[in-house]
Amino acid sequence: MEPSEDKSIMRARDFWAALILMAVSVFFLWRTADIPLFNTTQGGVAGVAWYNSAAIVPLGIFLAMLVLSVVLLVVAIRAGGAQRALTAVGLGWDRDEALRFATLAVIFLSYIAALVPRVDFIICSGLLITALIYGYHEGRTGRMTLAAGIMALAGAAAMVLHFPQSEWSAHGDDWIALVLWIGLTCWMLWNGHRSRVFRITPWIAVGAPLILVCAMAFGFRQNVPNRGGLIFSKIEYHYYVTLRPLWRT
Amino acid sequence: MEFVLSQLAGFGGAFAALVVDPLTYVYLVTSVFLGITFGALPGLTATLAVTILTGFFGNKIPLDYSLIALLGAYVGAIYGGSYPSILLNIPGTAASAATAMDGHPLAKAGRGGEALGLTTTASFIGTLIGTFALLVFVWALLLVSKNIASPEKALLALFGILLSGTLMSEDLVIKGWIAGLIGLAMAMVGMDPLLSEPRYTFGWSYMMSGFQVVPVLMGAFAVPQIIEGLRHADVGKLVQFRDRIVPNLATVRRYLPTITRSGVIGTGVGALPGVGEDVAGWVSYGVGKTVSKDGKNFGKGSVEGLLSAETANNACIGGALIPLLVLGIPGSPPAAALMGAFKINNVIPGPTIDPAIILRVVAILVLASFTMFLMGLFTARVFIRILRIPQTVFLPVVMVLTTIGSFSVGGGINDLYLMLGVGFVAYFMNMLAFPIAPLVIGVILGGLFDETFRRSLFLSDGDLSVFVSRPGAAILLALNVALILSQIPFVQRAFGRLKRRTA
Repeated sequence: MEPSEDKSIMRARDFWAALILMAVSVFFLWRTADIPLFNTTQGGVAGVAWYNSAAIVPLGIFLAMLVLSVVLLVVAIRAGGAQRALTAVGLGWDRDEALRFATLAVIFLSYIAALVPRVDFIICSGLLITALIYGYHEGRTGRMTLAAGIMALAGAAAMVLHFPQSEWSAHGDDWIALVLWIGLTCWMLWNGHRSRVFRITPWIAVGAPLILVCAMAFGFRQNVPNRGGLIFSKIEYHYYVTLRPLWRT
Repeated sequence: MEFVLSQLAGFGGAFAALVVDPLTYVYLVTSVFLGITFGALPGLTATLAVTILTGFFGNKIPLDYSLIALLGAYVGAIYGGSYPSILLNIPGTAASAATAMDGHPLAKAGRGGEALGLTTTASFIGTLIGTFALLVFVWALLLVSKNIASPEKALLALFGILLSGTLMSEDLVIKGWIAGLIGLAMAMVGMDPLLSEPRYTFGWSYMMSGFQVVPVLMGAFAVPQIIEGLRHADVGKLVQFRDRIVPNLATVRRYLPTITRSGVIGTGVGALPGVGEDVAGWVSYGVGKTVSKDGKNFGKGSVEGLLSAETANNACIGGALIPLLVLGIPGSPPAAALMGAFKINNVIPGPTIDPAIILRVVAILVLASFTMFLMGLFTARVFIRILRIPQTVFLPVVMVLTTIGSFSVGGGINDLYLMLGVGFVAYFMNMLAFPIAPLVIGVILGGLFDETFRRSLFLSDGDLSVFVSRPGAAILLALNVALILSQIPFVQRAFGRLKRRTA
């Protein structure tokens, strides 16, 4: 792509970015109005002057952001950004790239919001690693969609079965995620057995989260996500009951 | 001279204490190895290396070991970026982009081993120059910083954000400033530091303590890299070489003036708040091209060009730690991650920092640069093999590392939501050519700016002249105003006319 074409696309994007930033600035200026500015009581302190108010610095920040957003909008309009902004081609938007980003967003949201709190960390991380390598290594859109679908299915199952925090240590969703992980691994090996990367993926998917979670929990003695998970609870039990007494005695 | 000798004596004590501790070597070798690996893998950066290790070592081991791990990774990662630059023509980190200009042509000419040997030596000497500057200047500045009060601190924090926004922008400077303002705005969330008035918490108790630094760093630096890197890409063709990776001492001696000049430039650029190793590398490369007799061969496999870039980016490390330790203002994005580690250990960098910590930092940097030098010479083949690993294989593991690291620092799921939210915002900012470094500097310095700005006004009863009545504050205010004005087209045109008239 020509540099001038790149610049035109950038100005079209700037047009939208400036509008979003202006909306954000106005929203937060409105929210800042909730913080008293003149001669008030704040945080239990009476007679707070304007210059000491908790609102003064945020007010300055959002006003400055609003002014700079307007300047960015003017720059974008002058460079023809507004004319190109309403077309996908003008924005430099690509269908494949949009699909790639959307599937990644689904995978990350399922992993962080649904799976990590509710499902055993080794299982959900193994599923994540398998889904990401299978989905994105060769850049095929069908594989990306399948990987995102499987992560979304595992995430939805975890949310539906054990949504409240009080149920996060239950194992129903762990079994579903485990079955999906094994299924995806088998599918990947069946379809891509000639690929060296796919052949080593199961080892990475099991080894990396297992080593990390054990190092964090037993090496650094830190909290790890979902201690009561299907696999980790067994590891923890045997670490303290079977292994540790060996060197403690 | 007496002052320098006393500093060297203090450094000697700290160095000896580290050398006799066997655990030092465990952390040092591991972290330098991990750092070089992170630097060598295109798609991973030095900032990411320090950020991820902050998640692991930040508050889980004593601060001394934590500093060894983080500084070792920092030194290793900046150096490690030179491997793909030279052998693949793909900079491993932004800091080594200038290295590729001459490193790759040298490798293509069959001098890959020599190029790697020279970058190893240059990085080693560069780190030592930066470290020596840190040892000397940090104390001089600490003496000056005792006179720095709230107005100066507020203006210095603002200058750091503005300068970072100005120099780190690849497109419009205004985007860098907006990124800095977004960072400042993020720092306003939670209880305000003077009156404990809740701001923008939206009734969520997690937000009362504000945005935690480590999840923000992980989100800002790791998530966009992972999203960007998860696409099909050929690893690239590694340039083969047969010569041995050894430091060519005769060449180093011949180019000692270049190495020294680049070291000084790198340290100076590093000392500027919020400006990273990539800028140091390019500035030094640009200066080298201008002043060198060999300038016309820069970009065609010039040894001098290679040394200019590679010495400066490693010298920048020591420079970047000067404002961090003296003023609490990070000199580069990895230093911002280091600041996060200090914060979670309840160490506040600045005029009140324990001097023993500074001496330990200097001693660790010297040991880390020695380790890097030895690893660069004896285990280079291992790192060259690592270059063959595709991004789509290691980035999923980085996502898991980031998740568990971010979770373990705060111990809560909310930190993961914050990390992902910041990550998506940072990805779109990258796409729109908004630099991320000013945002992070804004998040880190936001609290300091808010507190010191309002305290200044409180002590002066709202009199704004407090920002001009003190000489230090007046100079800093003038610098801030000059920096803003210098970017306004009308002012630039007026200056241009004035310059032509005087010429």
